[in-house]
Amino acid sequence: MKKLLLFVIVLGAAAALAGWFLSAPTRLDENTVANLGPGDPVNGELVFWASGCSSCHAAPEAKGDDKLKLGGGLRLETPFGVFVAPNVSQDPNDGIGNWSVADLANAMTHGTSPDGQNYYPAFPYASYARMDLADINDLFSFMKTLPAVGGDAGPNELAFPFNIRRGVGLWKRMFLDPAPVVAAPVGGEDVDPAIWERGRYLVEGPGHCGECHTPRDFVGGLILSDWLGGAPAATGEGRVPNITPVSGGFGSWSASDIAYYLESGFTPDYDSVGGEMVPVQENMARLQASDREAIGVYLKAIPAVSGAAQ
Amino acid sequence: MRTISKCISIVSIAIAASLGAAQADDDPIGDRQAIMSSVGAAAGLGGGLMKGEIAYSPAAGKAAIAAMRAASLTFGDYFPDGSNASDTEAAPAIWDNRAGFDAEIAKFAAATGTAMEAAGRAGPADLDAFKAAMGPVFGTCKSCHEGFRVKN
Repeated sequence: MKKLLLFVIVLGAAAALAGWFLSAPTRLDENTVANLGPGDPVNGELVFWASGCSSCHAAPEAKGDDKLKLGGGLRLETPFGVFVAPNVSQDPNDGIGNWSVADLANAMTHGTSPDGQNYYPAFPYASYARMDLADINDLFSFMKTLPAVGGDAGPNELAFPFNIRRGVGLWKRMFLDPAPVVAAPVGGEDVDPAIWERGRYLVEGPGHCGECHTPRDFVGGLILSDWLGGAPAATGEGRVPNITPVSGGFGSWSASDIAYYLESGFTPDYDSVGGEMVPVQENMARLQASDREAIGVYLKAIPAVSGAAQ
Repeated sequence: MRTISKCISIVSIAIAASLGAAQADDDPIGDRQAIMSSVGAAAGLGGGLMKGEIAYSPAAGKAAIAAMRAASLTFGDYFPDGSNASDTEAAPAIWDNRAGFDAEIAKFAAATGTAMEAAGRAGPADLDAFKAAMGPVFGTCKSCHEGFRVKN
């Protein structure tokens, strides 16, 4: 009996030790970031809109230039608790004014803070992990031009066990993967691969569309077999629609219908964009027309998700 | 004679008022959905004109604007307390934040009022005039749908 107890204790300690190492925050290789050179703020602005930074980090329902005041404060009310979007303005104390480009790249692609803490994946680094470092470098140079906003947005309000940041390291081991979700165009041999890949990059990476349009499992990981197949709204009201080319649904939209919707906010039958998609659509309207077309081309050539996810 | 016509006016106003009330009470969800479907149809016409899919004529432009105008003046009356159950995309925020909802309806009405003035009797003379008149009306769609409509 004593031996069994000892065995259980040793096993428990080993598991705890393994858990500690497996949950350690990871970082980019320092040389990779050091060689980036100066960023291009003009492209950085496009990356900023494509990535939807202001949808969470600007004041809720901010319009116009107020979208560039990144003081945080949006409360994402989810089944895990309330995530409060932090201040990412250029304020050196309350925001990220003191960050280096490596700090931003580690945050966006590894979910790791400058002082080595894990971020919660409400910050969509599981998508941003697929971004080019050159784009993050450009984004950094654009964000340097934005105003400092004072004030701390306040802490998250999470229940045990989700309030243990270290545990997020294990989540990252399971779900943080920079590989593309859809390996190749589906079903359309006439698809221009370069345009499709550009669309894939925008949707799966900076656009982080899957974060809302894909259902999650009980620990909050995306169910990739139902990629973009629609999901209950994380914030509680209604559903986020299926945007795969499913017949009887989104499949009736053409690539240019999708592009027109992202530009104007109108569906092919002239319903308007609504809910949390409004700021997303307004961001997408700021991209180049070719990028909106590429998103349409990608969404027309991915696996159709029907049935269970609906 | 004057008294009689006055009486008739009052009676007809009363009938009209009671009819209006009866309609609003019987099926406010169905009524407001019918109004919104005419808004959708007017937006479809307007969008088709803007995209060049439908050849522009001032009469067509006026039809789209006038349908929006009528809807903007009536739509807000069909959300009585208790009409948030059953099959509706109306967000709970309409009843939780009535002032905010009314402000959006007021924006819609203001935009259609300006568009009607610009349209004149015959309708906007050309496509550019139509775009200038209808554009702000279209802008109010998502402004209200952002906070007050839920997709299921």
